Amino acid sequence: MSTQTTIETQLVDELVSATRDVFKTMVFRDVIPAAPPLDGSALKPGSNVVGTVAFAGSTSGVVAFYSTLNTARELTALMLGIEPATVNGELPDAIGELTNMIAGSFRTRMADHSHEAWAISVPSVTIGSDFHTKYVSDDVQRVLCPFEIDDKEVFVELIVTRRR
Amino acid sequence: MRFLVVDDSSTMRRIIINTLTKLGYDNVSEAANGREGLDRLAAGADVIITDWNMPEMTGIDFIRTVRTQPATKNIPVLMVTTNAAKDDIVEALRVGVNSYVVKPFTPETMKEKIEAVLAR
Repeated sequence: MSTQTTIETQLVDELVSATRDVFKTMVFRDVIPAAPPLDGSALKPGSNVVGTVAFAGSTSGVVAFYSTLNTARELTALMLGIEPATVNGELPDAIGELTNMIAGSFRTRMADHSHEAWAISVPSVTIGSDFHTKYVSDDVQRVLCPFEIDDKEVFVELIVTRRR
Repeated sequence: MRFLVVDDSSTMRRIIINTLTKLGYDNVSEAANGREGLDRLAAGADVIITDWNMPEMTGIDFIRTVRTQPATKNIPVLMVTTNAAKDDIVEALRVGVNSYVVKPFTPETMKEKIEAVLAR
């Protein structure tokens, strides 16, 4: 498992800051970076819930959020102010909104640096088991940021299309 | 004080309604897009809180329509969105949004912004 070195440090730092800010204000919990960001090709998170939001502009790519189903249920409950046992159909929308806020906050932070606001997509959420995400182009750079929230692990991944 | 919350995310509508309840506002109706929002406005509202990116009718098109109708043109509007780049804010203010709340937000920020639009 190698530490990432290829994606610009500024992009990763802003993604980590955006993630921490979203969790603190909307999930009412601190997430702590659990390790240095990792080369995304080195690790496949063991997750059953994946939220993604694509962005496009001078830099293009995808922001992805990964967690287990149980953790996603607890995050949904925290966001909505309900008990985890009562979470049912709310989970996909909540994880989509969480991913959307991380990607949106990341976009805003990068616009402050580049003075260009990237376009971003609506979020999509995949829930299941025994699957992994694959991006069709090999011409991408990936970095995976592990976080701890309480005693659980979540991941946020940045996938950037290489500039030509 | 009657609030109308317009957002395609049921999660975000719930978060905003929970925040309004904490702030003491409990007369809230909701809609999932701008078109539904226009329908709900027939029942009246004192403050509109709307998202930007929504299917059917975006928040920008919704507010543009709200500002052209005599019965609704003076209702204070808060936009709650992740679209927080300078150009986004300029566009929203140009169509008639009164104030802007960037997601993620705290209850304190929401309170400040509501009080500011009500004080106008």
